Amino acid sequence: MIKSPSTQDDIVLLNAYLDDELDAAAALAMERRLAADPALAAERDRIEALRTALRERLPREAPSPELRARIERAVGIRPARPTLFGPTLFRPTWGTLAASIAATAIVASLVTSHVVAPNITEPTPRAEAGAVLSSHVRALMAPQPTDVASSDRHTVKPWFNGRLPQAPRVVNLDASGFPLAGGRIDVIDGNPAPTLVYKRRQHVISLIAVAAPDRGDTSSSRDAQAGYNMVRWTDHGVAYWAISDLNATELEEFARLFRVTAADG
Amino acid sequence: MPVTYLTHAASLQRYDTGASCPAILDGIWTLIADRSLLSVDTKARFADQILPYLQDAYNLARSLTGNRADAEDVVQEACLRAYRSLDRVTISNARAWMLTIVHNTAYTWLAKNRPRAIVAVSDLEAIERATAGPDRPAGETPEASLIAKADAAQLDAAIAELPPQFRETLVLRDVQGLDYKEIATITGVPIGTVMSRLARARERLAAVLRRDVP
Repeated sequence: MIKSPSTQDDIVLLNAYLDDELDAAAALAMERRLAADPALAAERDRIEALRTALRERLPREAPSPELRARIERAVGIRPARPTLFGPTLFRPTWGTLAASIAATAIVASLVTSHVVAPNITEPTPRAEAGAVLSSHVRALMAPQPTDVASSDRHTVKPWFNGRLPQAPRVVNLDASGFPLAGGRIDVIDGNPAPTLVYKRRQHVISLIAVAAPDRGDTSSSRDAQAGYNMVRWTDHGVAYWAISDLNATELEEFARLFRVTAADG
Repeated sequence: MPVTYLTHAASLQRYDTGASCPAILDGIWTLIADRSLLSVDTKARFADQILPYLQDAYNLARSLTGNRADAEDVVQEACLRAYRSLDRVTISNARAWMLTIVHNTAYTWLAKNRPRAIVAVSDLEAIERATAGPDRPAGETPEASLIAKADAAQLDAAIAELPPQFRETLVLRDVQGLDYKEIATITGVPIGTVMSRLARARERLAAVLRRDVP
């Protein structure tokens, strides 16, 4: 049913190639086929045009605002307006009151130990990961994940210059398939932290830079929370957190490219 | 994370009390603490792990039901199912987990309300053979530029013409940006089926646009 030399299998492989789902050897073979076969190349152009049209012009429809409230009511979460401290999730019961007293005691003891022994209370990676996750999720819920939207690093970097004592390193990874989308400022552990936003296909990657003058350089390590992958590392007194719903392999690739390029620039 | 503190602290509190109370009071206290702990923890997990994916859930439900009201009913039902099983599962990828539940809920809904929309997979292949036809154009047709001209309404209408299985695969990939493996998990089919459905869906979409775009 399909003209030779392309078979339906070729078309399936071509689609997978364009979706970045082929391994290196199969991708190379496909690239050779594309160079030699104009019919297959025309098919590629069609698929590319279709994907671009879907990405750029298909209307994105949001669920109605009442849906969330309906669901929260259905599971018994009191629908709350977002406040500085997050939604109120439950009514206090004796158990939770007791718990909050205990929590207060723990917080108080943490504060005390902070005063008494400042050296051992550096925010743990775990706590910082929670703050990074919240910032990323909050950014995704906002109409824009960026405060300055630009793919030009010469626009993004000066934007930080006016707002933070030290602007982050901004690198261009467009050629590797991670276009810059812009930047924003998050607050991690009470301190403003510059955040760069990159994209991979439809995925948003937040790269949050937290000042950590006392920490030595580390190699990257990987973590996952609430369905998001995270890669963290420390370079020149800055702890970097890359977080995204992108798969872990590509996120690590992103981290590696960023480190290499930032070190060169 | 305040919630983690709370649950942790509550269990500390429980054991502290237990050490100094008569056994029966200890038992009652444990009962109360356990019940409130369970619901607090589940609600917090639900808010943390499920609610962030409402938009994804809605996109998938909308692609299968075809309209807003039914899509929202499916999402609500899926959220309740998710909430009810949240206690019993450890989730590594909350987004994929939630979308799997939406997929299953939507198919139950389709079977009940649109029984003719779901075609058996073997029939799908037959439909494909019948409709793909021999009209595949020769190499250098100017289709890419024609597809590039399609507007939002034409794209929407063309997607609506796809069978649900194809539409869902296309939306998960080209709108939501999931990878093949995630789509295979969510839709419960082998990865090869995802690949062929996606190729067919795009092919059909291009064919419909060729027909509709002037």
